[in-house]
Order: sequence, then structure tokens, then C-alpha cells
Amino acid sequence: MFDRILDPTGLSVRPAGAASDARRLPSLAGARVGLLDNTKQNAALLLAEIGELMASRYGAVVTIRRTKEMFALPVDEPLLSEMKAACDVVVVGVGDCGSCSASAVADGITFEREGIPAAVICSDAFAVTARAMAEVHGDADFDFLMTPHPVAVLNPEQVAVRAGELLDVVVARVSEEGR
Amino acid sequence: MTGQATEDPRLAERAIEYVYRQGWTDGLPTVPATRERTDEFLATTSRPADEVIGRLDHLKREVTVELAAINSVMAGCLPDYFPVVLAAWDALMLERSTMGGGWQSTSGPAPLLVVNGPVRRRLGFNSTGGVFGPGFRPNATVARAIGLIVRNGLGVVPHVFEQATQGVPGRWAMCIAENEEESPWEPLSVDGGVTAGVDAVSTTLLRTSEYVDNRHTGDPEKLLADFADTLSRSGSLIFRNAGAGVVFCPEHAQMLANAGMSKDDVRTWLVERCGRTKADLARVGKNGITENGVRYERGDGESEGFDPMFAADSPQNLPIVVAGARNAGMSMVVRLFSNWSGISARVEP
Repeated sequence: MFDRILDPTGLSVRPAGAASDARRLPSLAGARVGLLDNTKQNAALLLAEIGELMASRYGAVVTIRRTKEMFALPVDEPLLSEMKAACDVVVVGVGDCGSCSASAVADGITFEREGIPAAVICSDAFAVTARAMAEVHGDADFDFLMTPHPVAVLNPEQVAVRAGELLDVVVARVSEEGR
Repeated sequence: MTGQATEDPRLAERAIEYVYRQGWTDGLPTVPATRERTDEFLATTSRPADEVIGRLDHLKREVTVELAAINSVMAGCLPDYFPVVLAAWDALMLERSTMGGGWQSTSGPAPLLVVNGPVRRRLGFNSTGGVFGPGFRPNATVARAIGLIVRNGLGVVPHVFEQATQGVPGRWAMCIAENEEESPWEPLSVDGGVTAGVDAVSTTLLRTSEYVDNRHTGDPEKLLADFADTLSRSGSLIFRNAGAGVVFCPEHAQMLANAGMSKDDVRTWLVERCGRTKADLARVGKNGITENGVRYERGDGESEGFDPMFAADSPQNLPIVVAGARNAGMSMVVRLFSNWSGISARVEP
């Protein structure tokens, strides 16, 4: 009986869901790893530590490290192209704020659609917004990785511990190793 | 009125509850928007209903004039308020953060809307006592309309894409009219590039507001020193610099003007003095500054020196407004989320 009340959202249709998974790499040996940090405190350090562990334990090579210019917004086309050309898998993070956790998930979905397996790391305090972003970008089940909040106030030794804890899930996210 | 007496008021309750069930309200009851009512709003503007006036591409959302009208109806606006809502929205879209991730921020920023020009009187905006509200329909509903547009039109809903840790008191409730009649200075809209006497809205995002109550001195420099103390609070320094504004009450503004100070003089006085010593900042773990301008705890940092609060001496970094009643010396420091765009939007049919 209330069909004469107007919808204030402008959403006539919800985005359709479509999985975006790229093919996992069979092995990380010799794989080129890209690290995309979003300027959040400890993000670059955490990704660097993970990159080093992927190199030392699995024989991968970190070939490109980039920092997003706008942490709140998804990766732009020039940076996407540059990373696509330079790496086989990408590690993105750390989603540790309202907008950057959501945009990190959008980045992961974008990389996957471009055929690059992506491990996206978010603080667990932002799980809901990260999941909502996955829905908006048409991949409601996108598998992002979570680390306990907070990340920003960890000291370098604690960041290294986090990297060690995340290593196995990052590796399993982008390759068949450890699956 | 006899015909209306037969209408069932419980229908209104059911319609209001329907809107709640859709998830379209900010927690308070809304006026359900009908086609007829929305068209009355659209008739107040020459802008086409399908004109896109805001978008968040990363959330795949956009706002049209029509969606703004629907949300303004829901907020409780009258049709004549709609051009003010559109001007407020236009001004808001000129802010650096509003097209990016600002609405999603853990800081939960809130727009402060400032209305200038004859439209204040014509529509009954409060510019004097209790200017920060509540109690006045134009102030309350225009601010609320902006909030509903962000929620419904841009899809930034609390706990989902809106990730405010605590949020800001007064979010979606801060629409003030400048007290031009009792201000000794030019209106804010002049700083925003609009001629005095022309209807305009200026806005920027705030992180909070906090009072300076000084009914104690007749010395303008002592008065300003009280403002400088509040402005220089270390909690707001997360980057190299921080922006803040002052909403002066008429009494404070007039005391400063009577001492010969223009608005620019007041701003310059504050910009030159606001900030913290490196030693103060070291005590709170904010003495280092990265290349990107973010503060951090630096163990080996210098302990001598002074970090100025403001990046520059401009209305963008330190906007000044006059509002409130002339009955006491109490003013409001407002903390900016970033900087004001410095551009006011005209209210046009």
C-alpha cells in the first residue's frame, strides 16, 4: 500500500554478483610479487616483511612496491597497468580505516579481474565495510584476509610477528602452495 | 477542513514505519516522500531533475537533483528550502574530502553549513540565540537533508560504509545563519567569493566544536589568547598542521572590532601564535612528521622549537563567522576535517 512513497536511494537494481578469482599460481618459486601499500601507519613495513618471507621461504621475488596516492580511493589505471606488467601476484594493505579498508578490497577485486591473484589484508575492525565493498564491486564472497586490530600502533618487532602470522594465508590466497 | 477530519492519522504512522523498514531514515521519523510533494520541491529550481550533483564512483553511487528533493522532503524541509539545500550540497561537493573517502572516515566528520544573505530572514533561519540548534525548522531540516542525501543517495550508512569511531556531536544538525546584523565584519560568503547581500551557503566538514567562554577581560589580546589556547590543543594535531575556525559571538567580535581589528587582523594574530612546542608534542607522541606530513612518535626528535598549528594565514585554514545572541561572551572553536574550499555557493532558483 506504500508503493507511492518514493525511494530516496536511486538504487533500482543491486549490483549482480560475479566471482572474480584469478587463477592461483601453482608455485611461488620465481614468482614476481607486487606490494601495494596505502600509506596507513605500518602498512609499508608489514607488506615489506611479508614480501621478505615470501622470498626467503618460497623463492618469490618482490619486483615492485608502490604506495597509493589516495588511500581512500581504488587504485587508478596507470598504477594498475604498471603493477600488472611487473608482478604475478599482489599483496595489498593495510585496510585500517573506514575508506581504505573498503578501497583495498576494491583493489583486490580489480587485480583479480585482471588475472593477478591478490591478497588483501584488512584490520578485523573493518570486516563489515570491507564485505560491503566486495558486494558493491560485484564479488560478495571475495576472500580478503584479516589481522587483529590495531595495526598502526605496533612496534617494528610486533609488525614482524604479524607478518609471520599472515604469511601462510597470504601464500594460500595467491598460490596453490600451502592450500 | 471537514474533509481532512475523516482521514485516518494512523495511516501516517504506518507510512512512517514503512520508511523505517526500508532503512531510509537517520533514526528519526521522516516525511514519506510522494511524487506530488517531490514535484513541489523540484518546481523551486530551474535545474533538471536528472542532473547529477554528486557521485562516489568507488561506491557506484550518484545523486541527482530529484534524489536530493526526495531526501529533502523526508527531512521535513518546506519546498522553498530546496534551493538552499542544493546550494549547501554544491558547496559541500567543492570540499576536498567529500568526493573521496571523507564520509567513510573513522573520524565521522560533520558538515557545518553557514547561510548568508536575505534568504536567512525570508525563510526564517536562526542566526542569533541558540544558533547551533535545535528549535528552528530551516536550520534543522536543511542540515538533516544533507545527512539523508549522504545516507540514502551516496549509500554511506552507519556501521557499513560509514565507519565513524564515535562520530561528531551535531552531525547532520549544524546549519547556522550568520548574524550579519550584529557582526562588525563582512560575512563569510564574501571570503567565499560571493558579493555581500547575495544569498549563499558555505560549508566545511568538522571534527568537533568546543566553546571558549570568556566574560572576564576587556583586553582584546587576552581574549584572543584564550582562543589561541583552545585552538592549539594537541589532540587535533594528527598531521603537520590542522585547520580550525571560530564562530564568534557578537560580543567577542564587537570587542575585537572596537579595538580596531578586522577579521583578517584577528586571523593573523591567531595564526602567528597558535601551535605547540616540540617538547609539548614529544610528551604526547606527536613530535615527528613524515614526508607525507603525518605526525608520529619520534624518539630522537629535537626538543627545541615550535610547530605552528595553521598551514597558512587564510580563510581556508581559519574561517571566521559571527553568530549567536549578543547576550554573553561565549564563542565556538570549530575543528576542520581538512581545510575549507574557500568557495561559497549561491542560492539560486
